[in-house]
Amino acid sequence: MKLTESIDLLKRDFEAELSSCADEKTLDAIRVKYLARNGQVAVLFEKLKDAPRDEKPHIGRLLNELRNDITSRFDDVKQRLVAARQGEQTDIDVTLPGRSVLAGTLHPVTQTIDEIVRIFTRLGFNVATGPELEDDFHNFSALNFPPDHPSRDMQDTFFVNDNLLLRTHTSPVQIRYMMKHDPPVRIVAPGRVFRNEAVSARSHMQFHQVEGLYVDNGVSFADLKGILVHFAKEMYGSNVRFKFIPSFFPFTEPSAEMYISCFICEQKGCRLCKHTGWLEILGSGMVHPNVLTNVGYDSEKFTGYAFGIGIERTALLKYGINDIRMYFENDVRFLRQF
Amino acid sequence: MPIQRISYSWLKKLIPLAIEDKEVERTLSRSGVEVADMRRLGAQFEGIVVGDVRAKSKHPKADRLSVCMVFDGEKEFQVVCGAPNVEMGQRVAFAKVGASVPRNQHDPHGSPFVLGAAVIRGVQSEGMICSGYELGISDDADGIFVLSQDALPGTPFALYLGMDDTIFELEITANRGDWMSHLGVARELAAALDMKAALPSVAVREGSAPAKTLASVTIKDPEKCPRYVARIITGVKVASSPEWMQKALEAVNVRPINNIVDVTNYVLMETGQPLHAFDLERLSGKAIVVRTAGADSTFTTLDGKERKLEPDMLMICDDEKSVAIAGVMGGLNSEITPETTNVLLESAFFLPTSIRRTSKKLGLSTDASQRFERGCDIEMASSAADRAAALIAELAGGTVAKGAIDIYPGKMSPRRISLRPSRVNRVLGTSLSNREVAGLLKRLEIAVGDKAKDEIVATVPSYRNDLVSEIDLIEEIARLFGYDNIEPKPSTSLVMLPDEKTERFAKYLRELMSGWGFNEMMSVSLTDEKGSAYRNPGTAIALMNPLGKESAYLRPTLLYGALNSVKLNFARSVKDLRFFEIGNIFYRVSGNDELAFQDVREEERLLVLITGRNLPEGYGNPSRPADMFDIKGVVEALLAKVCLDKYRFIYYDSKNSLNRTRVDIEIQGQSAGYFGSVEKEICERFDINENVFACEISLEALHRAWSPTIRFSEPSSFPPVTRDLAFIVQQNITNDAVVAAMKKTGIATLESVTLFDIFAGEKIGAGKKNMAYSLRFRSNERTLTDTEVDGLIERIVRSVQTECGAELRTF
Repeated sequence: MKLTESIDLLKRDFEAELSSCADEKTLDAIRVKYLARNGQVAVLFEKLKDAPRDEKPHIGRLLNELRNDITSRFDDVKQRLVAARQGEQTDIDVTLPGRSVLAGTLHPVTQTIDEIVRIFTRLGFNVATGPELEDDFHNFSALNFPPDHPSRDMQDTFFVNDNLLLRTHTSPVQIRYMMKHDPPVRIVAPGRVFRNEAVSARSHMQFHQVEGLYVDNGVSFADLKGILVHFAKEMYGSNVRFKFIPSFFPFTEPSAEMYISCFICEQKGCRLCKHTGWLEILGSGMVHPNVLTNVGYDSEKFTGYAFGIGIERTALLKYGINDIRMYFENDVRFLRQF
Repeated sequence: MPIQRISYSWLKKLIPLAIEDKEVERTLSRSGVEVADMRRLGAQFEGIVVGDVRAKSKHPKADRLSVCMVFDGEKEFQVVCGAPNVEMGQRVAFAKVGASVPRNQHDPHGSPFVLGAAVIRGVQSEGMICSGYELGISDDADGIFVLSQDALPGTPFALYLGMDDTIFELEITANRGDWMSHLGVARELAAALDMKAALPSVAVREGSAPAKTLASVTIKDPEKCPRYVARIITGVKVASSPEWMQKALEAVNVRPINNIVDVTNYVLMETGQPLHAFDLERLSGKAIVVRTAGADSTFTTLDGKERKLEPDMLMICDDEKSVAIAGVMGGLNSEITPETTNVLLESAFFLPTSIRRTSKKLGLSTDASQRFERGCDIEMASSAADRAAALIAELAGGTVAKGAIDIYPGKMSPRRISLRPSRVNRVLGTSLSNREVAGLLKRLEIAVGDKAKDEIVATVPSYRNDLVSEIDLIEEIARLFGYDNIEPKPSTSLVMLPDEKTERFAKYLRELMSGWGFNEMMSVSLTDEKGSAYRNPGTAIALMNPLGKESAYLRPTLLYGALNSVKLNFARSVKDLRFFEIGNIFYRVSGNDELAFQDVREEERLLVLITGRNLPEGYGNPSRPADMFDIKGVVEALLAKVCLDKYRFIYYDSKNSLNRTRVDIEIQGQSAGYFGSVEKEICERFDINENVFACEISLEALHRAWSPTIRFSEPSSFPPVTRDLAFIVQQNITNDAVVAAMKKTGIATLESVTLFDIFAGEKIGAGKKNMAYSLRFRSNERTLTDTEVDGLIERIVRSVQTECGAELRTF
C-alpha cells in the first residue's frame, strides 16, 4: 500500500473510532493509539524515510496535516467530553458539608492574658514570671505582711510547710524581679495563684492574675491612674467611665480599687454589676516604701505603682462565663467556643 | 474579712448626720469603707400603718365576716375582715391598697403579695387588717395582730416596731480595726464631711468604797498586757435589758443575754473596746492576775468547750485559777449568772500579735479577738470602762465603786510622724500647699505643727494604730482629697527591655499546638494521694492544710488532670478529644539540684493527649480510631520544628527489648519526656475504656534546644529521581533499623525515604515481612543520571542486606 493510501486509511479509522468514543477513558486510549510516541502517526512518519525521494516533500506535508488534524479533532472531542462531565456535576448538592479541618483553640484564660499583656507590652512593659510554689518571704514578708498580722488572713493560703506555700497572688514576682534588676523596672507578670477556698461557681482554689509594676524616678499616683485609664479604654472601649476607690493592700499605699461603668446595662443596673452600675476590674496602688526597701531600692529616690488584674474575672466580663469551675473542667464543647 | 454591722440610727447618736442613709453609704464607699450591703429594716412593711378601728358591723351576707371602718390618721377606709378578734377601738396593723404584705395566709409557701382593692361578697374592701402571720412576726394566723392602745394612727408600722433603721454591712480590712465600732465609723464620716464625732458624755455616780479595797489587779506580763482597767459595781440585779438596748443589739446581730453582758456588748459595738464582766464573788481572793498560761493545760470557755492551752497564751487569772483567755473568751467558772450581785468589769489592751496567735491556735475568733488582733485604742480602755459602769448602774442598779483600778505599765506618748508636703505631691502627682495638707490631716483629728518649710509634724490619735509612717499619712491625704480629684497623667519615660524568651516560647508552642487542631485545656494544680504517687515514692509534695482529700498534693504530672477531663467529657458523651496543656508539675528532689527551690522542682511541661477518632466523623470524612502513630506524628512534627535534629526516641528498655506502649524522648542527650498509649489500669481508674495516647515533654528541655533563628537553605532547582525498593526482613527488624542502614551509606543526595507499605503472608514466608520504601534522590548541583542513581541504589541495598539481614524483593 502506498503511503498516501495509508494516510487516508488512518484518517478514516481515526474518525470512526472518535465518533464512537463517549468517555474520556476511551478517548485517552485513542490518543495513545494514534498520537503516542510509538503510535500509528509516528509509525507513518517512520515510513517517510523509505518513500521515493521526489515524493517526500508532498507526503511529508500530508503527514503533518494528518497529525495536526488528528490533534485538533482529538482536542475538540476532549473539550466536549470534559464539558459534558462538568455538566453532569451541576446537579451536585452543594449543601453537603465541607471536609473537616481540625481546628484547635486557645484556652480563654490564655487569650485573656494575651490580650492584657499585649496592651501593656505596647506601653513598654516587659513580661516576667515566677514560681507557683513560693516561700513566705516572697509571698508575704517582703510584701509588707507583718508576721502575726490580720492582713495574712486576707488570702487563705495553702502551705506545704511553715515556709513553703502556693503563692496567693502574682505579687511575689515583683520582689523577685526587683531583687534581680535595678530601677527603672516596668513589668507585667501573668500566672496562676491559689487560695484555700471551697470551690463554687464564684470561687475556686486556683485562678490567674496579671501583675503590673513600674518603679522609676518620680512615678506618682497620677501616673498610675493614667496607665490604668488607658488600659480600661483599650480593654473595654473608649466610652467607659471609671472611678478609683480607696482600699487596703499591705504592699501598696495609697491603695485603690478601680471600677468601670457597667457596659452591659450602661449603668441602668443589671445582675452583672449587682445593680450598682459599676464593675470592679482591678486592685492597685503606690508601691509601699517598705517593699522598695526590702528589695534594696532607695525608697526616697524611687517611687512606683503596682496593680493586679484577675483573669477569670476579666474573662467573665469579656465572655460572660459566670461559673469559674468551667475554666478547669475542660469540657471540650466549652473550649471550642474560644 | 470580718463583717461589721453598723446602725444608721446609732451613728446619729455619735454624729449629727443630716444626710440620708444612701448618702452615708456613698460617703463611706468613697472613703474606702466597703459597704457590702445596706438594708432598711422594716422595708417589708412599706404601706402598712397603725390603724384605728372606728366602727365594726356584721357583713350583710356572711356571718363570719365583719365590715370595719379603719382610720389611718387622715381618713377612714371600709375594710372587710374575717378575724374573730377584731373589735371597735383597737389599734391594728393596717395594710393599705398597694402595700406588699410580707406573707400570704392562703399560699402554702407564704409568699408575699401586693394588696389590691376587692369586693368581698358584694362589699367593697379597701385594705386589710393584718395577722401576725401575714406580717411575718408570729405564726398566729387565726386572728389579727392587735397593737398597744397608745399607738398613733398613721404611724408607719416599721416605726411602731422600732424598726425604722438602716443597717450597713461593712467589710473590715486588716488595717482598720477602728472601723469595727460605731464611733470609728462616725469618725470616718466626720472626716469625710468635715464634722465632729463624739461619745455621749458620761457621768459616773460613784459610791464611797474605793475600788482598790474591793479587788486587786496584777500584771505579770506587761509586754502582752500594757494596760488593764477594772471597775467594780456592787449590788446589781441581773435581769433582762430594757427593750431599747435589746433592739440596738439585735440590729447589729448581737444576741441579748442579760443587762450586765448586754452593756459590755453595747459599749463594745459603740466604742470598739472589748469588755468582760466577771462575777467578783467567784474570783478567788477577789484578785485579777494577768499572766501566761504556763503549766495550765486546759480551760473551759463560757461556751462550755474545753480548750487546749499553750504555755505562752495570755490568761486572766484569779489567785487560784484561770478565769478567761485574755482578749478571746471568758470562762464558765466566772461568768455572770442570775445570782450575781458584784461585778468586776475588765477593760484592757492586749498585744495584737499575742491575741492573734492564741486565736489562731485555738481556732476561736470572737468579737473581742477580732478587735484586739487589729489593735484597739489603748486610751479608750478607761473611758469605755466608765461608760459601761455608768450604764450598768443605770440598768441593773447597784453602786459603782470609787475610782477605777488602772494598771498601765505600757503608757506611751502619742505617736508623732514627720511629713514632707513635697513628698505628698511627688507620690500623688498633686500640687497641694502645706496649708491644704495640714487642713486635710486636721479633719482626721491629727494634730499638726510646722517644723520646717517642708516638714509638718503630725500627732496621731491613739485609735489610729495603722498610721506609723509618712506614707500612711500620704494615703490619708489622698483619701480625703479624693482619688477622683487626682488628674490621670500618661507615663512617658522609656525603659529599655530585655527580651523574655521563655514567655515567647510558651506562646509559640501554644500557637503550634492549636494550629494542629488541639484544644488548650487547664487542669487543677492539686491532686489526690493516688495522683501524687505518679513518681517515685518520697517525691510527692503534700499540703499541710488541704481543702479536702481530692486536692491534698501538688500534681507530679499533667497526665492525671487531663484524664480527669477525658472522664468528664466521656460522661457527657463527647468522645473525640485532642487536648494540650502547658503547666507546672512539682516533685521533691534530694541533693544539690540547681533548678530546685527548697528541694522542690517546679517544672513547666507540655502535655498532648489524643483519644477517639483521628478526624470528626461525617459524610466524606474518612476517619478511623486514633492510634499510637497519631501521637507520634504530632511529637515528631513538634520536635522537628523546635529542636530540628537534636532529639532521639528511646524505643528500647534497659533490657534492650522493644517497648511497645511507651517511647522515651531524649533531647540533647537528656531525658525530656515520653509519648505512648496510657496504660489500661490507669485509664480504668478514670473510668475510661477507650485507648488514650499522650505525650509529656519538659518545656525547659525543648526551650534549651530551640533555635528561633531560622537559616534558610535554597531549594534545589534540579529534578529528583525516585526509586522504589522492597525488602523482605525478619519480623523483629524495625523500620528504624532499615532507615538507619540506608542513612549509614552517607549518600548526600538521598533526599527522603518514605515507607509506603508493610505486609506479611504466605508469599513472604513465615516470620518475615515485606517493607516497601520510596527513595528520592536529588542534587543541588546538577541533574542526576540513571546510571549514577543505579550505583547509589546498589550501595543502599547492600547496606540494608548487611545491617538488617534483608533480601531485596524483585518485582
